[in-house]
Amino acid sequence: MTTSNETLNKENLAVLKTARLSLFGFFLSVPPVLIILLFIGLPIVLAFIFSLGFTSGPNRIIALLGQEIYTKDNWWGTFDAYKSVFNDSRFFGNLRTTLLVSFVTTVVVLTMSLGLAIYQRIRGGRVAAVLIALTLVPLFVPVVIAAFAIRSFYDGTGFFKSLFEIFGMNFPTLTMTTYAVAIGTIWTSLPFSILMISSGMQSIPDALIETAQDAGAGFLRIVRTIMIPLAFVPIVIAATFTAIGVMGSFTIPYFLGANQPTMLGVEIVNFFGPYNRPQQSVVMAFIIFAAASVIGFFYVWANVRSAKLSGKI
Amino acid sequence: MAREKTTLNLTSGSWITRVFVGAFIVFMAIFILGPLFWLAARAFATSWTFPNLLPDGVTFKWWGTIVGDKSLLDAIRNSLIISPIVVLVSAFFCIPAAYAFSRYNFFGRKTFLIGIFAANAFPTIGLYAAIATLYYTLNLMGTVLGIIIIQLLGTIIFMTWIPAAAFSSVPRNLEDAARDAGASKLRVFRDITLRLAMPGILVAFVMSFLASFDEATGTYLVGAPEIYTMPTKMYALVLNYPVQIAAVFSILLAIPSVILITVARKHIIGGHLAEGFQIK
Repeated sequence: MTTSNETLNKENLAVLKTARLSLFGFFLSVPPVLIILLFIGLPIVLAFIFSLGFTSGPNRIIALLGQEIYTKDNWWGTFDAYKSVFNDSRFFGNLRTTLLVSFVTTVVVLTMSLGLAIYQRIRGGRVAAVLIALTLVPLFVPVVIAAFAIRSFYDGTGFFKSLFEIFGMNFPTLTMTTYAVAIGTIWTSLPFSILMISSGMQSIPDALIETAQDAGAGFLRIVRTIMIPLAFVPIVIAATFTAIGVMGSFTIPYFLGANQPTMLGVEIVNFFGPYNRPQQSVVMAFIIFAAASVIGFFYVWANVRSAKLSGKI
Repeated sequence: MAREKTTLNLTSGSWITRVFVGAFIVFMAIFILGPLFWLAARAFATSWTFPNLLPDGVTFKWWGTIVGDKSLLDAIRNSLIISPIVVLVSAFFCIPAAYAFSRYNFFGRKTFLIGIFAANAFPTIGLYAAIATLYYTLNLMGTVLGIIIIQLLGTIIFMTWIPAAAFSSVPRNLEDAARDAGASKLRVFRDITLRLAMPGILVAFVMSFLASFDEATGTYLVGAPEIYTMPTKMYALVLNYPVQIAAVFSILLAIPSVILITVARKHIIGGHLAEGFQIK
């Protein structure tokens, strides 16, 4: 996938990498990194030690305001806050729901994006264009509205419920079930994945596909040995971004899910706000971080790889 | 350079394939568009009797209700004040950095870039809980500054990555030629580099504005109940107001997204978006 732009980027980058180190460049680039360190890095470190029972220093105020705070009894802290979360019978149901919804959403979204992108790349034409345009619509819709719209579409007086009722049949009420949550996360995750994977597929040179075809390779073989390997990095970005996005979602499960079991995103907000158990809230946040860490690693890897391929790093 | 894409000759002419493709399009249309139309219709409905597929009557009275509700107007005002500030602050900090990433070699360059991606690799809700914990200490809970910072975090990847790509695509020989012709460094930057990179920078502005304007979770966690923006007001609207008012408010909230993404669509779908993306 070499466009003139990328060749230019790569040439410039080669020049850039041999250039002498610039102090000016360093200072220009520091502010956003500093913001990230201060408001993402620092809070994560402080919240982590808070979850281990370090309740003094910068964590003093939150420890004063919150209820059921566990303070460390060893030099390294305590697992009491973790224990109290694990002892809550609802927790594992919520964790299971979170992981299940993330997994199902990622699989469905990836299957649909791959199918559409391959169809668009190989067949092209109006049908593909219409389908791609349709799946990009959620990009225009703020997630709060999406959640609300899906909520009323599948609720007790929703579209399918009404339609089936007219014909004297019954359609299940999906709103306030985990099915509705999955519908919502799939709906909101589609555009990014489709954009990523279809642009990856579009940049595969015609010559490669034609040659394979002339050599007698069938459709599935072309997909398996040429298209998927060549679009691998965008596929990894789409998959990891979708999984991380769903694991960290709040609005969709809040509007669409059952009260119990729900996704951990909702519980984190509940414990932080209404229940006033900030330490447990932070503990759950770190459990989600742990679950997402491997996915996050691949997300960063794929993005850096993609930046390298296009000559930006 | 519109080049023809190869079309493989699949056995797709058969009517079975056609029926299947047709059914899939109908399914996708209902799946994607159905909820939006179902909701939008409610903004103009007097009432709606189950199981009718159309409302009982058409009215505009719900639109008037919005104007009469101070808390809703406050939310609109807050959104319209906070989001532009977030975009400007983000541009102020990030665009010089984008230029540096594109033009200078410096100590930590690669680490910084990885760090910017890594900031994006956390499930957001966990991150917001951690940030809110620190906010109590910094006295930022329920403050406009607190909301600005939390929304700023979601714009950094757009404001560095997209303009960096735009700066990189400005031909160096144009800049060199202008320098040879006697233009000052500043003048070259202003009249050539910045001007040619402008489309990319504008896309970054659009994406950052929307990221800020539509951000709900973090804003809710640190802003409510003192300060509501349009998206966080939706939480209360959905649960406590007539569905028609929430529908009207939804349409109002969607207007900026629809307008801005339509305007920038060509650039977004053409590839700038793939260069840095974070929405939820």
